[in-house]
Amino acid sequence: MKIIETENLTKKYKRYKKQEGLAGSIKGLFHRKYEEKIAVDDFDIHVNEGEFVGLIGPNGAGKTTLVKMLTGIIAPTSGRIQVMGFYPNKLEKAFKQQYAVVMGQKSQLFFELTTEDTLRLFKEIYGIPEDEYKRNKDFFVDLFQVQGLMNVQVRTLSLGERMKMELIVALLHNPKILFLDEPTIGLDAVAGKQIRTFLKDVNESRGTTILLTSHYMEDIKVLCKRSIVVNHGRKIYDGGTDMLFENYQKSKKMTIYFEHSVEPDVPDDCRVLEKANDKLVLEIPKQNAEKVLESYIGHYPIRDIGIEEEEIGSVVERIYKEV
Amino acid sequence: MKHNLKFISELIKFRLSHIMTFRLGFFAPFFINTSYFLVQLFAFEAIYGHVDSIRGWGHGEILIFIGTFSLIDALNMTICFFGVISIPEKIQTGELDLYLTKPVNPLLRITFEKVDPGAIPLLIFSACIALYGVRESGANLSYANIIGYLFLVLLMTILYYDMELLIRCFAFFVFSVDNLMKIENTAVDLCLKIPGIAFYGIYKFVFYCVLPYGIIATLPTQAVTGALSAKGFLFGVAIVCIFTFFALSFWTYGVHRYESASS
Repeated sequence: MKIIETENLTKKYKRYKKQEGLAGSIKGLFHRKYEEKIAVDDFDIHVNEGEFVGLIGPNGAGKTTLVKMLTGIIAPTSGRIQVMGFYPNKLEKAFKQQYAVVMGQKSQLFFELTTEDTLRLFKEIYGIPEDEYKRNKDFFVDLFQVQGLMNVQVRTLSLGERMKMELIVALLHNPKILFLDEPTIGLDAVAGKQIRTFLKDVNESRGTTILLTSHYMEDIKVLCKRSIVVNHGRKIYDGGTDMLFENYQKSKKMTIYFEHSVEPDVPDDCRVLEKANDKLVLEIPKQNAEKVLESYIGHYPIRDIGIEEEEIGSVVERIYKEV
Repeated sequence: MKHNLKFISELIKFRLSHIMTFRLGFFAPFFINTSYFLVQLFAFEAIYGHVDSIRGWGHGEILIFIGTFSLIDALNMTICFFGVISIPEKIQTGELDLYLTKPVNPLLRITFEKVDPGAIPLLIFSACIALYGVRESGANLSYANIIGYLFLVLLMTILYYDMELLIRCFAFFVFSVDNLMKIENTAVDLCLKIPGIAFYGIYKFVFYCVLPYGIIATLPTQAVTGALSAKGFLFGVAIVCIFTFFALSFWTYGVHRYESASS
């Protein structure tokens, strides 16, 4: 059953185009020039209940604008939009009762108080009965193993711990849809992994539909069976995440730290991104990554190695060129 | 309604917990607000101590007027002032996003989320001044006058809130509302010092109908001294209804045209 549907969804902004210098500013007082910025352009999206969909794209691609329209924060300029049968910008209470949104850069927590205090307030906001509140809180606190952090001031929590609390607060009322805008932004690898495991669990055990926007390929790869790639406000890919990586992710980034200063050989098909005395950063064709890794391990004294997925911008660029 | 009341009570408890986290932050406003009130009172005494009458109002009526204005101002400060003044910032920074996505009225939440118990002593002082003024004026207090006074104080507190809200809703459409707030401060300052009955002609129109700060303490003062006509009372009720309608409509209009802020 479709839970999110949009057709030809468009959002345009008008922005003032200032001419250079003081003379331009004076001119602008009397004769203003505006340009139209299309943040989301003729966007069609259909999401089924229980799906975990990734929304990928570079900065300014239109991902956040799309999420803001789906949650009713802003109104579309044109097109059709329906979320759980509601027109989001009508901002009906019954609609807002059924979804949650977590924005990685905007906190819902109150820094001087504890998470427990915030949860109490959210219990009232969503009108959650006491027994359901306790049951849900215990479930999520247990899942995240944060029993010891519930009664400490939020300001004393680490970024990763804070994000866990944000998710608990958001999920307290059992939303049907969870919109996540960059939930792992700024998190270290361990915290990022914990968040991913948690989200996977919530999606599978509770059937919550999740729409995740992220810059991190790792998030999308691990969590989302389906991905939608957005660029310049347009959808340029909508399909399986496996297919996306198979077809468009061509390389990996390998960072090697040597025990001491060395002059390593670089295979012909690899590109050097950074080179220092004891550090080498390479872009390696995806299919050769294992071979190159083995060759370095066999030939040089290595202190540490890191392998990262190709950054999102390059993948988007490649899709963009092909479609 | 029941849910909203429960929510407001939880919000107030939450706010009190919040400000009690910092002891100085909790106790200092009591002292600061009291000092501010005393300074204002001395200023009024300096001005009106040597004036026998303003258009029929004697020293007693002036004291009721001052006490009533301070009472309405203190009610506003205690309940909603700090919430309402945060609206422009919430719009400009996109913080409003988080309010719009919650199933409670965002305006209700903003209005009551920053109650300030630091202004409670002002309520008591203001009431004392008004009572002293009643004694000075020699007005015959009847139940009708007292009920009329309290009812108009309530209405004028709403009107004061409406004006604050109207001005801050401009932030949905313009970059800064600082200059509008300067006009608001000047008008409030003026109407706090000069009773509405002193205005006439175009000034009366401006301070009774456009920026109706002129009626805020004047009508309740007239009510308690028995000088308010039925026409004056109805005028007060109508102005509050009109401005409440405009303020809430302007807020709703702004919310639906809200563009959020770039993340």
